[in-house]
Formats: sequence, C-alpha cells, structure tokens
Amino acid sequence: MKCGNGIETRQVNELFINIDPIQAGGRLTGDAIKAIIAYCDGYSVCDNCRKPNRLDCIAKPPIAEFHKDVAAWLNMDAARMMPGARRGFQAVAHTYVNRGDPVLLTSLSHYTEFLAVEGAGGVACEIPADERHLVTPDAAAAKIEKVVHKFKKAPVLALIDHVDYQYGNLHDVAGIAKVAHEYDVPVLCNGAYTVGIMPVNGKALGADFVVGSGHKSMAAPAPSGVLAATAERAKEVFRTTAIEGDVTGRKFGIKEPEMMGCTLMGATLVGMMASFPHVKERVKHFDRELENNRVVTEALLSIDGTKILSEYPRKHTLTRVDTTGSFDKVAESHKKKGFYFSSALNDKGIFGLIPGATRVWKFNTYGMTAKQARYLADAFIAVAQENGVLVKS
Amino acid sequence: MLTDLRMILRETAPAHELDEQQRAEVARLLENLERQVGSLKQEMLK
Repeated sequence: MKCGNGIETRQVNELFINIDPIQAGGRLTGDAIKAIIAYCDGYSVCDNCRKPNRLDCIAKPPIAEFHKDVAAWLNMDAARMMPGARRGFQAVAHTYVNRGDPVLLTSLSHYTEFLAVEGAGGVACEIPADERHLVTPDAAAAKIEKVVHKFKKAPVLALIDHVDYQYGNLHDVAGIAKVAHEYDVPVLCNGAYTVGIMPVNGKALGADFVVGSGHKSMAAPAPSGVLAATAERAKEVFRTTAIEGDVTGRKFGIKEPEMMGCTLMGATLVGMMASFPHVKERVKHFDRELENNRVVTEALLSIDGTKILSEYPRKHTLTRVDTTGSFDKVAESHKKKGFYFSSALNDKGIFGLIPGATRVWKFNTYGMTAKQARYLADAFIAVAQENGVLVKS
Repeated sequence: MLTDLRMILRETAPAHELDEQQRAEVARLLENLERQVGSLKQEMLK
C-alpha cells in the first residue's frame, strides 16, 4: 500500500519489535497520532493566535499552558519547544560563544553539539571519558584547568550529556555542573536520551539549561525538542528582539531572536502535547523498562563470547554490545556473511539492527512490553543456537 | 478507532497473539468502526 507517490505505508512498529537505538522513545502514542491527523495543516495551531502573537503565548489549543507544564516538569523556570534538541544546543551556543572561545564537550558528545559550537565559532574542548566510558567530575575539573592554562580563560559553556548516545551510560551531570560552576561556566544538560524516558530534575542536576528531544524520547514527531532554562539564563537565551527597520521603523514585539520568532508549529507541536500526559506518567515507571532491558542483556550474556560494553548493571535501556566473539564468528563462514544476523532477526519479527552488523552494535528495549522483551531475549538465543553458538544455561 | 487498533498491533508485535482483554477491546473497536462506516455511508452517499 502506498500513501503517496513512491511513499510506501510504513508498518515497522506494527509488524516488528523495533530495537533501533534512536527510535524507541520517539514512537508516538495513540493520542499523538490522532492529534497530528487533526492538526495536519501547516499553521493549524495558529487559528487562535492573538496578541502578543507568539507561539508559546497561544491559549487554544493550550500551548502556553503546555510550555509552563514542561518547564515545571523538568524543574526549570522557562521552556521553549524547539525543532529538535540540536536547535536547543544551537540557541545556547549562539548566545554564549564568541569566535575562539573554548567550550566544554565530552569525548562522547553527539555531533550536533560539536556543530552548534562550530557554528558559533567556538573551540571544542573534550572532557575525556574514563575506561568505563563515564565522564566524571574529576575529569571535568582537570579539563577546565587545562583550558584555563591554554586559553587564559575558563570555558564559556559546557554541554554535558546526561546519557550518551554511544554507550547509553548515565553520567554524573550534578557533579560535573558543581565543578563547572566553580569556574562560572554555564552548563547545558543534554537530555536527548533522558527527558521523556526517565525522571529529570534540572535544578537537582545543577543545569542552567536542559535540552530534550521530542522525536527521540518524548513520543513526538520529528523534528521536535525542548530547551528549558533557569530564570537567570532564560533572560539571556530567550531575550526579545530589539531590532528596528531603518526605513519602515518596524519592530517585532516580543519575538525572540534565538527562537527565530515562533518555533514548533502545527502537527509536531500538538503531537508532542498530546503525548505529554503519557510521557509524564511513563517516566515514573522507568524501573519496568530497566527490568525489560535486564531480561534481554542477560540473554545476550548467556551467549558465549558476547559482552555488554555499556556500564553494567544497566541504568538506561540503550545498550552497546560486542558480539565479535559470538555472532561475528558465524559470519566468517555463513553464506550471507554478516547479513545473516539481521536477516535471521527480521525473520523472527525483529527490526532495527544495522544490516551486516555482527561486531559492535546497539539496541534499545525502551517501550517494549514484558512479553516483547522475553520474545526478543529468546530470539537472540535462538539465532545463536541455530548457528551453533554455545549458549550457557 | 483505526489508531486504537494500530496501537494494539504495536503492543502485540510481532506475533499479534491477543489476550482476552485485548480481544475484547478489538471487538469493541471493530463494532464501533462498523457503526461509523454505516453513518458515513448514509451521510455521504445519500
């Protein structure tokens, strides 16, 4: 079935268990699917836009209330919805970073954090992760000292991942923020993998900014995200326009330059809003998600030669695995080479493994039912047994 | 209703083995759907 010229109807999540590491938390709720159909037209949320004519001030649908609720939920003072987490990084970097300024990132930072720094003219200064693939406050302190020595000034901003995309490890943002604040460095907590997945308390983390991803972790359509700030920092990043046309004398009210006026309109915003009550509820049950992940990781560890590269026991559902000593050995002599693995999983109704990957790969169990987690665990074991890999009882 | 059915397909993928509660919910949704299709036929094709 097609839903447009050359566009196949997508049924991945209806036909398969989807373990794609970036897709798990962004699957829409039923309410979000209904909302985006109802608000499918371009400026659909603008029917009742009245003065002061800014997206986050619209009362119907309750967009203004939603913005306040999101800020309170993150224990921050103000929030704006953004077209993706990356636009949040960009707005903050553009506010604080000037050409040649040092900016703290980490050796596990997402590329969009680097691009945000580059776009503002900053210099990337990575805090190295340790042998456990964790970024620690001690490493942050040592890096800041190195930066001060080299640049004769402290970094102007730190972008720290709450949970990184490579290992799904949970980093001590509170400890790092404490160190950074001793040098007056504002801290952006990148919660792309945590906001909407597990409880996030921005002030408890000591964050000046919390960034979340709607399409990655808040059951929202792409591109969507959130940038939340403390009251002090909100005045800076959400400052209002001061420009005036020299011929027309036009001014632009309370529009915010870093937001380019209104940000997330139409279907993406209402999708995010419709999922929000479900998202607020689901983060309270993150323990169930970890239990599902445990069932799958234990099954993988029972397969001889398989290692979990992420911190263990798991504190997040995104997990990095090394199957060089198990599934990759089979690939050496299999007629389908490395493609046998994803192919065998597909045959069992599992989607999301990169075709051909048999060495180091990632999966995410977020949002599965317990029954689906058990099914996935059994599927990994079955593929191992079908291909002569020893499975420990 | 179609979205609600879709969500049940998601929750039960890949085997779609429905438990008693899910079967009852699907039956309720399909009955409503049939009623709605009937209404649409009457309204749009009159």
